[in-house]
Amino acid sequence: MRRALPSILSVITAIVLCFIAAVLTRDLSTAAEAFLSMVWGAIGDWPQFIETGSVASVLRPLGESATKAAILTFTGLSVTVAFRVGLFNIGAQGQLVVGALTAAVVGAQVSLPAPLHLTLCLLSAAIAGALYALLPAILKLKRGVHEVISTIMLNWVAISLVDNWLVVGPLRATATGDNSISGTDQILPTAELPRLLGEGARLDLGFVLAVVAAIGTWWFLTRFTRGFEWKAIGLSQDAARASGIDVERGFVEAMLLAGAFAGIGGAILVLGTTLKYPATLGAPWGFDGIAMSLIGQAHPIGGFVTALFFGGLRAGGTRMQLFGLHKSFPELMQGLALLFVAAKLLWERLLTRRAKK
Amino acid sequence: MCCTGAAVRQRQVCTEVNRFQGPVIQLKNISKRFGGVPALDDVSLDLNAGERVALIGENGAGKSSLMNVLYGLYQPDSGEVCFDGKRVVVKTPAEALARGVGMVHQHFTLVPTLTVTENVVLGHEPTRFGRLDLERARREVDATCAKFGFQLDTSAVVRTLSVGSQQKVEIVKALHRGVKTLILDEPTAVLTPQEADELFAVTRKLSDEGLAVVLISHKLKEVFAFSTRIAVMRRGKKVAEVKPAETTPDAVAALMIGEGSGTVTPSPSGRGVGVREQTLSLTNVSAEGLKPLTLALRGGEILGIAGVDGNGQRELAEVLTGLREFKGTLTFETKPFTSKEWTPRVARESGVTHIPEDRLKRAIISDLSVEENASLGRHRSPPFAKGARIDFAARRTHTAKLLETHDVRPREPQLRVGGLSGGNQQKLVVGRELDSSPKVVVVVQPTRGLDIAAVAAVRERLREQRDRGCAVLLVSLDLDEVLELSDRVLVMYGGALNGEFAREKFDERALGQHMLGARDA
Repeated sequence: MRRALPSILSVITAIVLCFIAAVLTRDLSTAAEAFLSMVWGAIGDWPQFIETGSVASVLRPLGESATKAAILTFTGLSVTVAFRVGLFNIGAQGQLVVGALTAAVVGAQVSLPAPLHLTLCLLSAAIAGALYALLPAILKLKRGVHEVISTIMLNWVAISLVDNWLVVGPLRATATGDNSISGTDQILPTAELPRLLGEGARLDLGFVLAVVAAIGTWWFLTRFTRGFEWKAIGLSQDAARASGIDVERGFVEAMLLAGAFAGIGGAILVLGTTLKYPATLGAPWGFDGIAMSLIGQAHPIGGFVTALFFGGLRAGGTRMQLFGLHKSFPELMQGLALLFVAAKLLWERLLTRRAKK
Repeated sequence: MCCTGAAVRQRQVCTEVNRFQGPVIQLKNISKRFGGVPALDDVSLDLNAGERVALIGENGAGKSSLMNVLYGLYQPDSGEVCFDGKRVVVKTPAEALARGVGMVHQHFTLVPTLTVTENVVLGHEPTRFGRLDLERARREVDATCAKFGFQLDTSAVVRTLSVGSQQKVEIVKALHRGVKTLILDEPTAVLTPQEADELFAVTRKLSDEGLAVVLISHKLKEVFAFSTRIAVMRRGKKVAEVKPAETTPDAVAALMIGEGSGTVTPSPSGRGVGVREQTLSLTNVSAEGLKPLTLALRGGEILGIAGVDGNGQRELAEVLTGLREFKGTLTFETKPFTSKEWTPRVARESGVTHIPEDRLKRAIISDLSVEENASLGRHRSPPFAKGARIDFAARRTHTAKLLETHDVRPREPQLRVGGLSGGNQQKLVVGRELDSSPKVVVVVQPTRGLDIAAVAAVRERLREQRDRGCAVLLVSLDLDEVLELSDRVLVMYGGALNGEFAREKFDERALGQHMLGARDA
């Protein structure tokens, strides 16, 4: 809990600053109303529920939040597991793009019974993401290329290849009837993530997968010897190697898992929300994963909680537009919070270093 | 009115201070605890100008902690620090420096790619019109060197200097800031005997110039060679203050260790099971820094490697433990291995353990707990693991036992290892590596930085391993250590073997000539 304190304080500071900015550009009552509506948009519109008794006014926002949180959780986990072995995976975006496209193609082109089809989509997206993350790992081991450089560049390779060519070229949906034809073909219903609360809310299986993945990752990292090996590698490659730990293998495994998580994040976006690879992905989910991981103190559960929080704010943020505030306020908060977390880390390090000597 | 009165009184205090002729620095009744563990317990110490004080004690006796309080790195829980009779709270090393206290640590704080001059003036660079005035800096640093009799090329890049010279740069750095009190924290741990002698000559000169010099050490010999006064510490307390002329090394050793905690006389080099057949051998093995060599480690024997630092000993140890690629064949028991097959993991699982020289780099991970570090290397197998999962309960009890057997203090398995003193870290490493009933132990400089009792304990453990039939390869730069422990000694020179001596034929002179390459094998 103590570890979480810097993050919590950073997030609060960011929200306060954004609120002040909103007050300055509008006025106090508008800003207050806008922020309050963002909260209701995140956790459900309880006043309206009490007033009208409409269940949808609570479930719809919650479902929206959970869907966004699920994707953020996966990209956050992607950054976190790489972090564990001391690698900085900036490439979650590229891995997510590759995973999303794979899910969209498999979802649209293969026909199988529902559970199998969905599983195949998720699995192939995970494998695609993992293979795409394997590239920087191999480049690092064979050629000594720093993973930050290679993952950043591979992001643009993926985005250019997929968004600017495949999706508008060879894989572009064939126009049928009156359907709009941006993005790839619609996925088959058998590949869609089942909605857990019926059509009223968008809460789908993706959220459950995210919870399982976060807890599973935490369990693996803290309870298993392999998780311990990763931690040792992340803290000291030399000592790990001298202890008989295969450092190179650890790098490869962690990057594979990181890529798989980002790939599944992309699959969930396609199979649950967009139902095809769209012309634009909407948000830089992969890059946001870096923020989730860092604000979550590189802890799987911490990243999950962060994703819940910012997923909620984003879902609610659209409502701010009604009050004349831009919907990107939640992203602004996230950016500021990340900035403060980074500064907090710096502070902590300075303080502990002073105390140690 | 009362305010003016206070001001007058203050002025009086000030004039008194100026006339103060007592100790330059007084540490009064200093106590400091770390998480309930007392590191310093009511310690008082005076330092006078022109004095050379030695602080001697075992690992964790509180020597460094006491000086860290003076240097502003630790805040005492109680007690006070007085400069010229006036109480002062030293919050940071910068404040300590401003008050004329300098400290030279075991680990240097130099920038390797800068020159001596640049390192010395770093942080206080003389400028001309806002630009660095290197010429003036160099003249000033040269002047400081000349004043205290240091022979240093101030334009040399620090990286190219020997360890002894780098240490001189550290000292000059402190002197250049005008310190009146210089603390040296185990300065000879990294020096050759000649360099150490030179250092002591320098400190004598410094105290003649009116500086107070403090030496933190656990080596009796150098303390007697160095000091005008010896303060003995044990378990956080100052147990005695003696003049070297009025006491003997034996008496001081007894004070350090305390009565009734056993003798430290080494047991004779007796044989246990006798030499068995070879366990690990190299046939025409070469590597980077290592010329083709053939050697065999035999069970029940301590094989010492003697040599001047940097003649391939380290590389040899790395080849044996799988950490360095090699050409040629390595044979373990009867099975031959190539470099690719002989990984650190295979070596460990075959029963080859390693006590490396650089423990912070290779043996322990500071940010992990004591128990996590105790499991490193064997973390995949019982008692540290159950299948693929970590066995937390067994790990804790096993670690607790290990701490007890090897006297690692404090006995807290969940403490961060970085919080342990260097000696206790080393005891933990030695304990861990010998705990697994190894077939081969490769040890490099196992007693560096340890106190008398710990050195004796480590050597005893190595003999125990030998006596139970283990093959021990001992690399040490301390020839006395090699000769005391080894059953057979190989000399290394220029990355190759240069002479073999059986225990009966030990001859320091001949060994020395082989070590320097003056004589061939």
